[in-house]
This record gives sequence, structure tokens and C-alpha cells, in this order.
Amino acid sequence: MFKTMFPTLGRFRLFVQIAMLLLTVYGSNVVGFYMAEKVSNALPALSCAYDQQNGAYCALISTQHLLHHRIGEALAKAQQITFQMFLPLLFTLLTFFTFFFVLGKAFCGWVCPLGTIQDLVNKLGRRFNLPLHRLENGNVSKVRPVKWLMLIVLVLALPLLTGLGITPHSLGNPYCDVCPSRIATTLLTGSTEQIALRTGDGIAFTLGAIANTLAGFILIAAFAVRQPFCRICPMLSFNAVFQRLSPMRLVKKQHDKCDKCGICAKACPMDIHEIAREHGAKAFHEDCTLCGRCVEFCPDDGVIQMKWGPIVLFKSSREYYRQRMKGEMPDGTIKATAPHKPGSGANDA
Amino acid sequence: MQPSTKLGLAATLVLICTSTMAEDEHSGRAPVATEASTQHKQHDHAQAQAGSPGAAVGQGKWQGREWTNYPLLTPMMDRNGDRATAKFAAQNIRPAKLEVFAPGGPADRLHRQFPASAEGTRIEAVTPKIGNYHWVSAREESASKVTVASTAYFFGNPGEAPTRLLLEQKNELEIIPQPLPREHGAWRESEKWPFLLRFNGQPLAKKVVRMETEFGTKTSFISDEKGMVTVLFPRDFKPAEEKPGEGGHDHGPRRAKFVLAVVHDDGGKRFLTAFNYTYSADAARGKNLSAGIGFGLLGMLLATPLLRRRKANNHNGAKEA
Repeated sequence: MFKTMFPTLGRFRLFVQIAMLLLTVYGSNVVGFYMAEKVSNALPALSCAYDQQNGAYCALISTQHLLHHRIGEALAKAQQITFQMFLPLLFTLLTFFTFFFVLGKAFCGWVCPLGTIQDLVNKLGRRFNLPLHRLENGNVSKVRPVKWLMLIVLVLALPLLTGLGITPHSLGNPYCDVCPSRIATTLLTGSTEQIALRTGDGIAFTLGAIANTLAGFILIAAFAVRQPFCRICPMLSFNAVFQRLSPMRLVKKQHDKCDKCGICAKACPMDIHEIAREHGAKAFHEDCTLCGRCVEFCPDDGVIQMKWGPIVLFKSSREYYRQRMKGEMPDGTIKATAPHKPGSGANDA
Repeated sequence: MQPSTKLGLAATLVLICTSTMAEDEHSGRAPVATEASTQHKQHDHAQAQAGSPGAAVGQGKWQGREWTNYPLLTPMMDRNGDRATAKFAAQNIRPAKLEVFAPGGPADRLHRQFPASAEGTRIEAVTPKIGNYHWVSAREESASKVTVASTAYFFGNPGEAPTRLLLEQKNELEIIPQPLPREHGAWRESEKWPFLLRFNGQPLAKKVVRMETEFGTKTSFISDEKGMVTVLFPRDFKPAEEKPGEGGHDHGPRRAKFVLAVVHDDGGKRFLTAFNYTYSADAARGKNLSAGIGFGLLGMLLATPLLRRRKANNHNGAKEA
């Protein structure tokens, strides 16, 4: 029954992604108005709190609030530093870690609504045979540090400086102010209030303008680039901080054919080229969202696995690879619409 | 321009603009945080709700004006940074104590009483680490009349959702929000929200509920057969007045106070119950949707070159698969 409904891991993931998108965007209409308290206020995914009918689940909001309202202000007042500073932060990190412990970076690949939207848009691009651009080694390494800058500057530093009274309150949660998920998920509920820009305040206007430009860019870019925002998302870097502590992980064994094959790298929506040439801990890269595509498209038995602790959740197999390749190329191109491209991985193994 | 360069450019833009903004401060102008971007800046809800007794919440000439004769419980700005306590002023009512009902926590602390003080009554969350909405009420009773003032207060710590708390009977005559706004939400101008009227736990049908706001609106609504009242928050915010020397401390969207009141006679007694809280300005005020759409379209335009097919001899690193 399960295999009939979900013949591939990709199909199962798509189902989970859409279910999570519905849950995080519309879920409160089903499970009750105060859904955030039931789910969490610190879900490590970009499930935005701005819509009035939506939940407040994004861990980045909690983090910015802690730095802005508690740590910064407590430092500024120089009072009760230990309890007012560290305990709340510890609680947030523990909450974050609790969820991370269950699914780890799979929150990015399976739960995040913005990730799902980009995935769906890219599937449309593949369906209509639009060009697909991959970032090669040189460029991908230039983009990777941006997510850390986003985390350090927008999620950590500016809220803290605001709490200290150095930067204005308009910079209390700057990441949320530029987050394209805020625009996307509120638009999905039919609300245009988040796309409207505040006039009369230069900072708010500029942040809003950046957010809208970024959201527009991401929407179109996603047709031709896989997961364009995920590559610079601070949630990815936040998750990466805890990556090695989670039992949920990607495991790759050394294999002689890997150097010549490289199909797994072609399948990776984050253009992690290391997955093809590395093994062990290095193969589970900081950019990995645990989407599982590399496992699906690895043509050798048991070389790549998704594991939760000692439990193997999914592992590569030649038979699965053959079946998978019947409908889709590693880069996501639908077989029926794919022009023949040597080296795309279809018959390379 | 290569797609990878564009991705990098988009991210760099974010960083450049934010760092520029960091320098663009202390201009003496109060940064008016966007309704959208500051819904959760109201995280410190005490600050959001608080004001001095009888005063409007930062509304310029409206401040200090007596705007209602109904009983009110108003949070005061005097918590010394303690997230588990709050101080309330009672107006138009002289209670002996304030009663606080918690959404969850130890059973012996779910319902607590705090002796009222003329300088303001300090209340506490059920425990220092449990927050969320608490219900606060004050009662003044004589042989012929029972007057109740009630409000809700959000302690800024995680706690149980107030569903059960709201439905718990606390007084004879009650006005119960169904629901209260979520942590990052607010009742806002032009929005309709339901409230439940009850007397001794039973829905009160066909009853007039009066509403007054600190901007001068006086209106009324009638409950339906199930005791539900749909309250339309009036669009009555007056233009904000900037106060010299207070720039940079305007924290969150503008809020104003309102009170709902209902009177019911039973058994020779008159019951008057009021519920007061705050509502905020319409999210569309001071915003420009066209500009927002314009920047969204600009972003789309910047990305459209990615949709073009490239020639095969691409040497810039971004490769068409």
C-alpha cells in the first residue's frame, strides 16, 4: 500500500513537503487558533509568524527576540546577567535542538515551506523544459559563506546591537524583515499586507524593498536554479551548527566508481559537488538539506544511506536507481520532456 | 551576468543595505516600525499594553484624556525588566483585590488574588517560567450592584494556550474574547472579532454590548442567540504626534485602548462587566502596496535572464545542466 502510493522517496518527500506547507500555512484553521503552542514557537523552518491567521513557528524569530529583548537589554541594564541572559537563550537552543534531534537538517529538505515552494516552482521549470543552471565548484564556494553572514549579521548581531541600544528598533529583527518566506507564505493566505512597504521610515522601507526584490527574484530564479534561497538561508547555517549532533544524517561509503560517476552530485539540488568525491563525514556537507536525492540517484547498492542513529531509513540500490531513472533525470528533468543530453546521468552509470 | 553572480548579488544586497541602515540611525526621528515587521516586536507585551492610568498609549494630545467611564484595568510601565510580574492600575472601580487566572501550571496557583493598591497592584504569572495570557479581573460589589473590570495580560514566557482559561467561569457576567490575539497578532482597526457574552456560564442572547475607544468612538453591538457578539474595531486612529527627545523608542505598531461593557439585571441586582484591552492600527496604514509590488516585479525582472538558454561554451562556472 505504502509502496503503491509512494513508489519513490521523491514522491514521499513531495507528499510530506506539501503536507507541511499546508500545516504551516493553513494548519491553524484545522487544529485550532493557538496552533503555535501545539507545534512549537521554535520550529527550525521558515514557517512565518506574520500572517494573522498563521502560526508562529520559526526559530529565527525566537532567536532574534532573545537577542533583542532579553540579552541585549539585560546587558545594557547590566543586571542579573546570568539568569536573564543565558537561561532564555539556553531554552531556545534546547527547543531548537529538540526538533533538530528528531529530524535534523531534514527540516530544510522536508518541512520548510519556502523550500517546498522553490521545489514546486523548479518542478514547473523542469516540466516546461526551461533551462537549469547549476553552480559549479568555484561559484558555489563563493555563495556558501553568505548563509553564515546572514546568520551572524541579520539573526545574531543586529538584534543584539538593537537590544543594546546601538542600532534602532527597526533593526530588531532584520532577518524577518528581509525574509522572502514572509512574503511568500502570507501571500499564500491571500494577505497582501506583508508585501506593502512602510513609507515614512527609511530603514523599514529599505528592508521591505529588499525583501520584496529578493522574493521576486527567488520566485523566478527557482524556475531555472534549484533552491536558490536555501543556499543563503540562515536557517541552513543554523542547522549546520548542530548538524553533527543529530542522529539524522547522510552516510556515504567509499566506492571505487564514485570518482567517475558523479550522478549524485547532479541530483543534488544544492550543488554539493563534494558528495561525489568525498565519503564519511565530509560527504554530509553543511549545505545538505537531507532531501535524499543523492541516495535515490546513486546507482550502487548501499553506497549512500540516510540514517537515523543506527536505523537505515533509505539506502541506494541499483534496482531503485533504474526505476527512478525511468521517470526523471538526476537534475529533475522529467523524462518525457527531456532533450537528450550526454552526461546528464541517464545512462552514465 | 551569470546566475551564480546574481545569487551572490542578491545576498550581498541584503548585507549592504542592512549595514547601511545600521549607520542611518539616531536621526532624531522616531523609527516607525512597520505593522508587518513589528507584529512580533510586540513580543514584550507588557510594553505594548502598558501606559499610565487614564492615559492613551502614546497618542499625542489624546494622552491623559479621560475617554470612558467604564471600569478599566490598565497595565503600568513598572515591571523592572521582570517578565513574570506586571503592575495594574484600576480606573473607575475600587476593588479590594485583583484576581489573576492562569492558563496552566500548578493547581494551587491557577487562581490567585493580589490586594489592590492605589499606586498600582503588582501581579505575578503563575510561576516565573510559565507565561502566555493570564486573565485579570477586579470586582466591586454592593447590595444592588456588581461591577467587574477585566482584561488579559500576556506574560512573555511560553505557556499554555488560553482556550481553557477563557472558557472558565470567573464572574457572573462575562465578556469573553473568542479568541484572544495570538502572541504576534493583534486586534486591528476595521477587523471583526467574536466575543462571547455569558451570565452564570450561560450564553446571553440579544444583549447590547457597548464599545468605547480612547479615540472617542462610542458604538454598540448586539449578541446573537448563542451569546456571540461580532465586534468591528473602528477605524479611528488619529495621526501620531512625534515627541521631541523620544525618537528611537517607538516600539511596535501603534496601539489604542478600548473597552467593551455590558449591563444585565438579575435577582434585583445590576451587573456591569467591562473588558478592556488594546487594538492596533490597520496594517495598511502608512504603507504602499504599489511600491511593494514594484520591488517584487523588479526582483522578477532581475531573475528573468536565468530563464534564457545559454550557449554550450559557458566558461563562467554557472553551467546549464
